[in-house]
Amino acid sequence: MASGLLASRGVLTLGLHYQHVCRSVLVTQTRQKKRWMKAYTRIMEAKLKLEGPPPPKRRSEKPNWDFHAEVEAFGARLQENFQMERLKAAFVNPCYVRVEQERRGALGLEPETAVLALKDNKELRTRGVALTRDFLSDWCRASFPSLPAEGASALVDHLMTPEVVCHVARNLGVEDLTMSAEVPVPDDVLYGTFCAVVAALEESSGPQRAGLFLRDFLTTQLIGKDLFDLWSVVNPMGLLVEECTRRGLPLPEPRLLRSAGASTVLPLFFVGLYCDKKLLAEGPGETLLAAEEEAARVGLRKLYGYTENRRPLDFSPAPQLHASQSNTQALSSG
Amino acid sequence: MTARGTSSRFLQSVLQNGVGRYVCQLKRISLIFSKNAQSSLGARNFIEEGVVDYAKKNPGTVVYISPEPCRIPRLVAEYLNGNVKEEKITGKTSQEISDLVTKLTNQSGLDIIRIRKPYHTDSPSIQGQWHPFTNRPPSVGPIRPPGKEAST
Repeated sequence: MASGLLASRGVLTLGLHYQHVCRSVLVTQTRQKKRWMKAYTRIMEAKLKLEGPPPPKRRSEKPNWDFHAEVEAFGARLQENFQMERLKAAFVNPCYVRVEQERRGALGLEPETAVLALKDNKELRTRGVALTRDFLSDWCRASFPSLPAEGASALVDHLMTPEVVCHVARNLGVEDLTMSAEVPVPDDVLYGTFCAVVAALEESSGPQRAGLFLRDFLTTQLIGKDLFDLWSVVNPMGLLVEECTRRGLPLPEPRLLRSAGASTVLPLFFVGLYCDKKLLAEGPGETLLAAEEEAARVGLRKLYGYTENRRPLDFSPAPQLHASQSNTQALSSG
Repeated sequence: MTARGTSSRFLQSVLQNGVGRYVCQLKRISLIFSKNAQSSLGARNFIEEGVVDYAKKNPGTVVYISPEPCRIPRLVAEYLNGNVKEEKITGKTSQEISDLVTKLTNQSGLDIIRIRKPYHTDSPSIQGQWHPFTNRPPSVGPIRPPGKEAST
């Protein structure tokens, strides 16, 4: 390796460093700017543009994942005592069980030996949906006693739409723990998993704790929303007339209160509704009809007790559970 | 850059946290460190002294310890809203790492960018938002400027 020694002695001044990989192979390194970096980065960017971003992976397939610890932390984080087997069963979806069976069949295992001993969450899911709907209806009726049945059911339907439930589930960490066939977890699977978790909670801690859980996480999604954004009413004036007859009030009479710029491109009319010569509600609008409809909506909000300045809902804390004994078990090794 | 050139958000909480019950937003924290390098000395000391107490105090957060050959030890914090925050702990002492971990625990996972207003409310007005017609005496006919005898 005389040539190698001669080369190394002369060339150290250039900043080249030789590494003897073995007797006949010499690898050159420089500590300066890498000449291959630009070409490599360009090729990788072109590859990314051609193939698109890499497919998303489940959290369980990335490093640092311990399912048992994660499930325990899920329960501790929500300050709820769950029974571990029921909660773990709540996260298993039928599509996952099917895909696992197919994968085991594809590996060539016998069907009897390859039977997956995993129970899926179908019954928990149906129980959870029914439970949630019942609780939300009771809660709506209790919190807004003047709201009629259609209004209350509209609120409950809004709270049980997949968008709202999946938003809640994603921000509570349910998506990481869900076992499903596709990734990212589709909305209906996540919806079912969340309802199954609610049913598991009801089985573990009783219906009262499940009710408090739903109150603290699902009903808070109503904060900041207006009644008629969630409940589409086509004829507010007709509904107001019905409500007044139901309460025995005289029928509302609309009167023009204010108007400005009636002949301009942005007119403004304020119409007030009078019951027995007393002002019930007033509302603005660009045309007289629009102002009357808005006044009817304002009147309905007042009668149903769903105004913006109503008394806030009661979210007083639940009686505290004792710190669960699962915190020592959460220190398991990865 | 200027405030217009950088991103900003309004004051908000994840899922109305705190209205119902308070949920610690940190779901997972991973401590990646080296078993022999000098830069991970503080991390190794933190693991000896402080990490078990931290894990016991925060049962809702899963703590992962991964020794692997790395030049820069890191703390990777994952939050409930999906954000992942990575902090380098090269050369930090055990106490500094403990403070950093507490800071990460108390954060919600929302981005640390300029907050447009330091307040937020869902019921901005109790007695009704003022508009130019509030408390204005009604008049019949168009509004005209006051006549000559009214002006002083």
